[in-house]
Amino acid sequence: MIKIVKRDQPSRAIFFLTPILAIFLTLVAGGLIFYILGFKPFEALKFFFIVPIADKYGFSELLLKATPLCLIAIGLSFCFKSNNWNIGAEGQLTFGAIVSGGVALLFYEQEGFYILPIVILAGAIGGMLYASIPAILKTYFNTNEILVSLMLVYVSKLILDYLVVGPWSNPEGFNFPETRQFSDSARLPLLFEGLRIHAGIFLALAAVVISWFVFYKTYLGFQMKVSGFSLKTAKYAGYKGKKMIILVFLISGACAGLAGVGEITGPIGQLHREVSPDYGFTAIIVAFLGRLHPVGIIFASLVVAITYLGAETAQIFMQIPKYTGQVFQGMILFFLLASDYLLFFKFKFIGSKK
Amino acid sequence: MNTNLKISNVTKIYPGCVANDNVSLEFNSGKIYALLGENGAGKSTLVKILSGVIIPDEGKIYLNENNLKLNSPLDAKKNDIGMVFQHFNLFETLSVFENLIIDSDEERESLREKIDSIMRKYNFSIDLDIPVLNLSAGQKQKVEIIRCLIRNPKVLIMDEPTSVLTEQETSELFLSLKKFSEEGILIIYITHKLKEVMELCDEVAVMRRGKLVSVSEIKNENIESLANKMVGQNLKTIKKKKEKTSSDQLINIINLNFISEDPFETNLSDINFSVNRGECLGIAGISGNGQSELFQVLSGEIISDKNSIEFNKNYIGDLNPQERREYLMAFSPEDRLEQAAIPQMAIFENVALNNFKSSNFFNNGLINENKIKEHSKKIISDFNVNTDNIELKSQFLSGGNLQKLIIGRELITSPDLLICFNPTWGLDVGAINYIHETLIKINEQNKSIILISTDTDELLKLSDKISVIHKGKLSKIMNADEVTSEKLGILMGGGN
Repeated sequence: MIKIVKRDQPSRAIFFLTPILAIFLTLVAGGLIFYILGFKPFEALKFFFIVPIADKYGFSELLLKATPLCLIAIGLSFCFKSNNWNIGAEGQLTFGAIVSGGVALLFYEQEGFYILPIVILAGAIGGMLYASIPAILKTYFNTNEILVSLMLVYVSKLILDYLVVGPWSNPEGFNFPETRQFSDSARLPLLFEGLRIHAGIFLALAAVVISWFVFYKTYLGFQMKVSGFSLKTAKYAGYKGKKMIILVFLISGACAGLAGVGEITGPIGQLHREVSPDYGFTAIIVAFLGRLHPVGIIFASLVVAITYLGAETAQIFMQIPKYTGQVFQGMILFFLLASDYLLFFKFKFIGSKK
Repeated sequence: MNTNLKISNVTKIYPGCVANDNVSLEFNSGKIYALLGENGAGKSTLVKILSGVIIPDEGKIYLNENNLKLNSPLDAKKNDIGMVFQHFNLFETLSVFENLIIDSDEERESLREKIDSIMRKYNFSIDLDIPVLNLSAGQKQKVEIIRCLIRNPKVLIMDEPTSVLTEQETSELFLSLKKFSEEGILIIYITHKLKEVMELCDEVAVMRRGKLVSVSEIKNENIESLANKMVGQNLKTIKKKKEKTSSDQLINIINLNFISEDPFETNLSDINFSVNRGECLGIAGISGNGQSELFQVLSGEIISDKNSIEFNKNYIGDLNPQERREYLMAFSPEDRLEQAAIPQMAIFENVALNNFKSSNFFNNGLINENKIKEHSKKIISDFNVNTDNIELKSQFLSGGNLQKLIIGRELITSPDLLICFNPTWGLDVGAINYIHETLIKINEQNKSIILISTDTDELLKLSDKISVIHKGKLSKIMNADEVTSEKLGILMGGGN
């Protein structure tokens, strides 16, 4: 008989193994789903997870998708580690894209090395502004940041919609819901001829390094952590707890805003209705799959990025809807949360030890 | 009808610890039983087994000869076993009535009548329609008790009920419990406070390290005999040597006022006192009379007028806690788990919360982990914290060990003044003794203490001078050897 026993303390090894277990279980369950749909499981999984990244172009696409996921998840890890549940990164991304897009449009006829930094900065500021709304409401009016940040996502999407259809729509664009093309100086440079991977990846990598450093090595990071656990303790220690909460939201908003910049100034080069295929929401999964640890988040963003690509190949080669990608994302989160049970409990085989 | 509850050979094993080792006990209605033991002795495990929260590995429970299968708290309720836990299980934002109706399937109207009659019978006066968060700890406990009484229990188990109560509330509780007992409810009272056992109970079962040590009648016991059974050794009694204290003034509070925007906080008015070097000033009072606000004003969590606090000839009223620490003040708040420490963080991280500049925990904004860990190891060994793993999350420390860690953290910077608020709240005898010894040692080193406490015995034992806080005002300061607990009691109630 198997008995479930509570652990004395959460296991550290299991802490890093459960994400791998979750991915494994996702593959098994995914194979099962494909089998039920009438496909050969292994072949289908191959189309989903291997074919899309088998060539140079595919690999570039993988990095392209992983970049915003990683960037946003890094920002979110600041919030989540300090118990601030910002789930509105999608909105902060959109608003960052709006602000940086607006700035890029200002310069649409101009060239110059100074334009891109301004555009990037504008995106970060846009994201920060948008994230400051739930942060300020939380700290000064005790509102629930989950609701506020989530609802603001839809507000930002409607603002974007209005802008690209109305005042910012391309005058020569035959009423398509999109803006003018940005000038080349406002675009993130592509890294390789013929591939879509762009310089935004360096922003993501910089964010990884900086976040690791801030959170694990600095007094500021320590204060953020303390304030997140208990404002009362922060006050007692003499920290400015409310400012810390606002700060983590701002960091998270800046990262999401930068992801927005990458989306519009990278391969696309204009604002349009769909700047992000829900990267802001998917990044929540990435953050937890990566255990809120910078290195973990890099790997998690690559894994989750495959589901985006796999869904597309599966649609092309197997004629199944691309929403399968979301099914896989959902399963990863589901199995991750389920296997977290193992952090606190273990199985004991009765009879083996007594 | 008589109720007979029998625990037969109950064993519960946790990894690394035998919480209950073959415990057998028998209870009969009409008597109040004490289950006595230090923290970790296994009494909470035993009552959790009785209330269906924990399922024992071995052993049986009989109520009036019926073998009970208690697989969940619901089973316990169905079998007429009521339980009031140490920590309240109430929804703070719901009204009292809503809290009571939540786990009942009776009609609202008839339930309200029932509650009213219970309250009348036992002289409880609680407004049923205000939110629970407006109630005092004593009232919240009454709500929990009413919740049990609604179901006409045969057995009522109280788990350390007085740890959150004032003396007055405690004596009210005892009156009620005696009344319940007269009405035939079997009462099992879990505690580690010996005085209460002597005052309230008829029979006492003592547990130590999971084992039942003795069962005896109260009339054959006294406080010393019970203490020795509980701890398993002869306890030395601590006595403070009353020496002449210096007249060198360390802290002086001048016309300090605090007006809160929060209607549930107490305003402080015209607080004036001073403490000399080497002296302990005790501040007594019933909880909720401004102690928490006074602590926060003194620690700098609430900032006041610069000139209202003079410390070591500096005016520091407008400084935050971290800045005050640099002037050699230290603080030990009441709430260990929510304020003084962060349970989810490691021991050494909790040590870093007292960021004193010369300890060099943080250099140029960077964490100096080696320094913090070195310091933590010293605290753990100097203050007898029972672990050697400073990476352990502090939630795995017992209350006593956590309090030692906190006091140690505050004292490691050798401050001139330690301000502590209910430092031994909820601790077992051994830990209380240790903390008391430590506090006495501080005074002996010519350092000062402000001890805000609701435990009168503790105050009389440790203080050189005592004042009483009532509705945010301090009484005049008295010499501790001229004060009796009766006099304090009168002042605490607002008398003269």
